[in-house]
Amino acid sequence: MNYEHEFAYWMALSHLPNWGNEKINRLIIRILDNYKISFAEFFELNAEDLKHEFNLNDRQVKDIEQAKTDLPNYSFLSESLIEQGFRIIPVNSKEYSSTLKQNLKVQNAPPILYVKGNTKLLNEPSVAIVGSRRASERSLEFTRNIAKRCAENYEVVVSGFAKGVDKTALDATLEYNGYSIVVLPQGILTFGGGIKKYYKKIIEGDVLILSAYHPNAPWSVGLAMDRNKYIYGLAYTIYVAESDSKGGTWAGVLNGLKKGRNIFIRKPEPGEKNANNLLIMKGAIPVDFYGNPVKENKNTIEEKLKDILSEKALPLEAVKNALKSEIEIQDKELRKILAGTDFIDSKRIKGKTYYFLKTSLPEQGDLFSE
Amino acid sequence: MTRSEAEQHLKKIFNLDRFYDDQWTTISKILNGERILLVEKTGFGKSLCFQFPATLFDGLTIIFSPLIALMRDQVNYLNSVGVSAACVNSEQTPDENNAILEQARNGGLKILYIAPERQENQEWLDAVRYMNLSMIVIDEAHCISVWGHDFRPAFRRIINLVKLLPENFPVLATTATATDRVAQDIIQQMGKNAALIRGNLLRHNFSLNVVKVKDQDEKLVWLANFLSQAQGNGLIYTGTRVTTEIISSWLQFNGIHAINYNAGLDAESRKEIENGLQSNRWKCVVSTNALGMGIDKPDIRFIIHTQIPQSPIHYYQEIGRAGRDGKPTFLYLLFNPADMDLPTHFIKNSRPSIKKYETVINALKEEPLSEHELMQKTNLTQTQVRVIKADLLDQGIVKEVLYNKRKKYEYQFNAPPLNTEPFEKLREFKFHELQKMHEYVQTDSCRMEYLCQYLGDSNVGRCGKCDNELQTNHKVEMTDFWRGKIDDFKTSYFPELTFSLKGANLVDGVAASYYGMSNVGSVIHRCKYENGGDFPDFLLKLTLRAFRKKFGNQKFDLILYIPPTESGDLVKNFSEKISSVLGFPISHGLKKARETKPQKIYQNFVLKKDNVKNAFIYKPEEEIKGKKILLIDDIYDTGATVKEIGKYLTKLGALLIAPLVIAKTVGGDIK
Repeated sequence: MNYEHEFAYWMALSHLPNWGNEKINRLIIRILDNYKISFAEFFELNAEDLKHEFNLNDRQVKDIEQAKTDLPNYSFLSESLIEQGFRIIPVNSKEYSSTLKQNLKVQNAPPILYVKGNTKLLNEPSVAIVGSRRASERSLEFTRNIAKRCAENYEVVVSGFAKGVDKTALDATLEYNGYSIVVLPQGILTFGGGIKKYYKKIIEGDVLILSAYHPNAPWSVGLAMDRNKYIYGLAYTIYVAESDSKGGTWAGVLNGLKKGRNIFIRKPEPGEKNANNLLIMKGAIPVDFYGNPVKENKNTIEEKLKDILSEKALPLEAVKNALKSEIEIQDKELRKILAGTDFIDSKRIKGKTYYFLKTSLPEQGDLFSE
Repeated sequence: MTRSEAEQHLKKIFNLDRFYDDQWTTISKILNGERILLVEKTGFGKSLCFQFPATLFDGLTIIFSPLIALMRDQVNYLNSVGVSAACVNSEQTPDENNAILEQARNGGLKILYIAPERQENQEWLDAVRYMNLSMIVIDEAHCISVWGHDFRPAFRRIINLVKLLPENFPVLATTATATDRVAQDIIQQMGKNAALIRGNLLRHNFSLNVVKVKDQDEKLVWLANFLSQAQGNGLIYTGTRVTTEIISSWLQFNGIHAINYNAGLDAESRKEIENGLQSNRWKCVVSTNALGMGIDKPDIRFIIHTQIPQSPIHYYQEIGRAGRDGKPTFLYLLFNPADMDLPTHFIKNSRPSIKKYETVINALKEEPLSEHELMQKTNLTQTQVRVIKADLLDQGIVKEVLYNKRKKYEYQFNAPPLNTEPFEKLREFKFHELQKMHEYVQTDSCRMEYLCQYLGDSNVGRCGKCDNELQTNHKVEMTDFWRGKIDDFKTSYFPELTFSLKGANLVDGVAASYYGMSNVGSVIHRCKYENGGDFPDFLLKLTLRAFRKKFGNQKFDLILYIPPTESGDLVKNFSEKISSVLGFPISHGLKKARETKPQKIYQNFVLKKDNVKNAFIYKPEEEIKGKKILLIDDIYDTGATVKEIGKYLTKLGALLIAPLVIAKTVGGDIK
């Protein structure tokens, strides 16, 4: 390992108190990419240089000075981590998850990861299965179905080791001989029991334990909420088994949708008491019990268009009128949707564009009769 | 800081006028945040090179040292000159150690000595996170290198730590003995362009001698002769723990004030002997090479080796402890050609078979296990388990993980296959070194020159003081007087059985002989396994003599014997005879509560202990209450059975239990 001798520096910078990932990442970029100096050189700079060259305020300069005196202590800690089979992966390492970096960007990506197990899993196609700690039996069954599907597709299942959906996702994945990443809401040195429990799967390369926090940080509600962003960040695709209208899953999904992530959610049975339908309205993609996208869904605008166009081809104004009772929509917007829907085609006749379903293309005469 | 400023400071704190050049070079590099390996002979003043800068730094200097005695001496010295120093070690109570760690965390110490093994300890790792650190020192740094004479696995973690330290953090490694190869190995492992500072090795006051003998008895004669007229006090180094016991008994038998010391003694006895050595309480201390490393005694006048060391570097290191005061000092190596067998055997068997490595790997693929659990799962000896796990750790096949402060070993995902090539290389290298030691014995040129050249210092001329230079020819005369004396000794020498067991009224016992020292072992074997009949009368006589020597006229209320697994009524009949001679009543009430396996099939004390745990029962129980009991058996190995019965009988109310056995085995796996 080339950067082993830099671990103490990485740790000291990553755990600068109350800086947040973005400030830390930007500082690291400044040191390594902009100024192209080593960490050792950076820590030799005086307060004036730190202020002027790195735009740090007085408190931040103090933090850096404290970090400097902490360096030997971090050397001790990193030795202990490495000795115990943990790995330290800095954000500029090839082993660092590129999915995580792409999803969270400089604003949120953790500057280092502490892991144990098969680090190759960090750069495999990945799926997060998320949901409530008190999920229904049906949600847990759904979780198992998705886990099985992922195992069959060689996709890595990312979960958070909470009760309910998280644990079910992990255990089912392993039951189906799949791969899994466990994202801890605590420091990696405080997870001894869990590592013992999944020992065989870890040493066989099926499981990677991951933490983005100080190795000695105890479990806390704050970290449990915070690590959700890493679960979403590590996954290419996200499946939601069950969500309440508040809490970690809810916040996570909303945040994901805002960022345009692909989020699949279990279509609930009539009468289920959860917020799954609400999230579908907000843009999550409903899937059935086995994870397949639901076809007959009147809730989506595409399904409504199918209904409207099932009889005959129509021009834009007619489609707009048919939708009017439910959705007000601008011409430009509607045109975009019609053009972007794969089962709809269009044809220009006498200076006017008609839209029709691809599947049931009748005789031309019938189709366009007045 | 300039040299003259530093020397003013030196005068103020240490009351010394000036530095040697090598000392100042080292110190100025340390103050500049560099990494240095300092190789200087014993007595040069290596410790000043870290003690002095430690007083200038804001924070704490940590000194990793494997030698508890040395830590104690240096801490006492530093405190006496007003430098706040302390050590954490296994001979202090956890409370004492924790108080010192607390003091270090609060900035109340300048210098802290700890053993390298401490790096595996959770309390230490938790505490060091909060210490303000200024420098790391590695004492006895040759322990880092497998090419050195005393490679220790615990140093692996220290060197890993050094690699992870910030670039301009000062690190000093020191040793008195490193060949060029060892020095280069250490430098390379320290990384970041560590500098080498090396002094000369010649010890001007040493007179080196080799005494060639034909057998063990001639060695005994030479020792008795030499020690009855030798000046001053010194050390005798032997090859095994048992020989320390035999030789010290022989010297005592000849009226010479000697004591034996080995790693098998408890900490208190060891400390007692170390203190006694300092104050010249004995003419000589007979020891394995566990004693003396780092003992700061200026006037050790002679060191005698009764067994050829494994290499010239071992030898130089061990004699290096003598004559620090610069006065004439005499070194003798007693050599019998058959002595080559022991080091040859050690080197050949330094590593267990590959199959045993695989057994350990397979066990660890199932679950994380502690050393203790590994011994249970694999039926390997403790030594084997330790050697194997050190190699597996070194090759990154397993890792040492703390589970609730308990060390366990984990197999690693993607672990490389076991590489046996380094084992072969090392074995060849060790044979080569042994050959070089043999050359030292056979050479007819200057012995000091030979040693120094071997150690990489070729500027040394001839010493003018060794037996070859002075053309002295040491000889042993085996007279009838000595022959008779040796015979008397052998028939009156009885090995002690010592216990340090809390919660049992077990007292030290005695054996009639060592299993292998005379024909006793083979006679017992014939009786037990080849239908040789009852133990013969000469064993009874010998055992009774051992009893009288140990216990005199002490009265016992009851004789019990250990119920046999394999040997039928042999021990029972033997005990009945003892009972009738001594006149103590015998009882047949001690029985097996369940079946046990013969202890000898178990290779380690963990499984032996498990095999006999709760395995004995005595009926009627009330008979034991308030009794003094003599407990008889044929062979004593690890003592697991005797300890188990001792605990059980104590529970039933026995006042005292004294074991008496025919033979004590040698070696074993007793810790």
